[in-house]
Amino acid sequence: MDDLELLRGLGRELEHEPPGTLARQRRRLLEAPDGRRATPGRSGRLRRPGGPAGWSLIGAVAMVTAALVLIPGVVLRGAGKPVLGGAKHLAFGTGKTLNVLLVGSDSRGGGAARSDTLVLVHLPADRKNVRAVSIPRDTLVRVPSCKADGGRVVPARVAPVNSAFALGVACTHRTVESVAGVEVDTSVVVDFTGFAKIVDVLGGVELTIPRAVSDPPSGLSLRPGRQRLDGRQALAYARVRHGLGDGSDLARIERQQKLMSALLKEAREQRLRDPARYAKFLAMSARSVSTYPRLDVGALEAVARGMEKTGADAVRFSTVPVKPAPQDPNRVALDGAAAERLFAQFRK
Amino acid sequence: MVSAMTAPPAGIPVTGTAAGPVCDADLVERSLEEPEAFAALFDRYSAMLYRYVSRRIGPEPAEDLVGDTFLTAFSKRHRYDLAHRDARPWLFGIATKLIARHHRGEATRYRALRRSPVDGPGEELAERVAEDVTAFAARPLLAEALAGLPRRDRDVLLLIAWGDLSYEEVAQALRIPVGTVRSRLNRARRKVRAVLGDTNPMHEEE
Repeated sequence: MDDLELLRGLGRELEHEPPGTLARQRRRLLEAPDGRRATPGRSGRLRRPGGPAGWSLIGAVAMVTAALVLIPGVVLRGAGKPVLGGAKHLAFGTGKTLNVLLVGSDSRGGGAARSDTLVLVHLPADRKNVRAVSIPRDTLVRVPSCKADGGRVVPARVAPVNSAFALGVACTHRTVESVAGVEVDTSVVVDFTGFAKIVDVLGGVELTIPRAVSDPPSGLSLRPGRQRLDGRQALAYARVRHGLGDGSDLARIERQQKLMSALLKEAREQRLRDPARYAKFLAMSARSVSTYPRLDVGALEAVARGMEKTGADAVRFSTVPVKPAPQDPNRVALDGAAAERLFAQFRK
Repeated sequence: MVSAMTAPPAGIPVTGTAAGPVCDADLVERSLEEPEAFAALFDRYSAMLYRYVSRRIGPEPAEDLVGDTFLTAFSKRHRYDLAHRDARPWLFGIATKLIARHHRGEATRYRALRRSPVDGPGEELAERVAEDVTAFAARPLLAEALAGLPRRDRDVLLLIAWGDLSYEEVAQALRIPVGTVRSRLNRARRKVRAVLGDTNPMHEEE
């Protein structure tokens, strides 16, 4: 083997993931004499319409992957959390249409959790052609009044859709319901920081890489051919933008869907092949996912069984149409008529 | 209607690091007026730099070193050449200088590796691909080679192998001509190969 390849292997072994405490260094920077006025939140002003949406799409694919893999995982963990029967009776098996809101939270860097990714997933009665629509996180919408921690009521306001999550997943749930005019059966929060770990617990994921990949920004470097990716590599591979295929979003989506199929396959095989490792995977998954309203095990199990029929490539992705917001050209708002046509398909 | 669902997600431009709608040079320029804009560079590159630095000097000192790198960059941002859209070479260059202060620590780290493996493949050995096994076996030799390299040669070699910079980017980071990058890299690789036992004289770089 090439000496540089050997060195890269050594490098990977020596490498450490950035700890949460690295955020302290960011604060040092912001408190530097010249940067006294700096506040973390204001860097958000740098965003332009459409800018962050790229992540939104990548996030959407990763999220649906995560959900498809994790939901059965949580279910099969078996008894545990108390059950929410509640007023709302949900028919989660096949036979009924189901709308699930996936909320990707990303608490990297030790800051407050944010809903970086919002994907509305439509599961038709036969569960065969799943549709997933992502909503760019900084889309300006009317956030209904929500209760904050401690019972304080925050009045309705126009704000970026991801700001609702600061008041809890219930607020995000209601915001999306009111904006889309769609009844959401359940919201599933997936913690992104856990995603790579989950892949690792599965023992990685096996993929065929058509061409060598080198993406310095993410540190991803892959040789062509069939190989096993660890969690970090898998995530980077799903996110990487350039140097692969024709660099288009379509090429990226295709890549992500292959990754998704591979992960689903991996999880299913693991269940039979290595029950001990699978148990670890379930425990890890359970920590990365929560639902609202809290679902009972039976309901989740039904979803999981229903999902078995969903081929990984049977999920179609799109992004809700947006345009620059009239109030603030640096933000986006829903493109009324086009968005309405899209959401109409989610109504039962 | 169906076409709205299946259409490629229009209006989603590529975003993110160097080639996004806001390139690094834009951020640096903006930070001259609005210092807080510089935090966006930290968000882009601190994790990447941390990973690189942790390889060279270990996880604990890496944290402060990454912080120092950005503080140094921040204080020198007035002198940044805005023609360089990608700030990575600049940041790697600053980090490299700071690593030099840990010179002794770095060499000690590699020497220690010659004796005790970081975390052996152990029971997972069977699952590893063949290359990883080879790499594992070669590690003490590689560590010895790294420990024995002059710092300048090691900087070039590791910026390329671990930092994934191109020759041009390394030249920019270390403020040396590309030809010097090539010659240092060749020298370093020859030594590494010699330690690995490869004496093939045809095995020359370009």
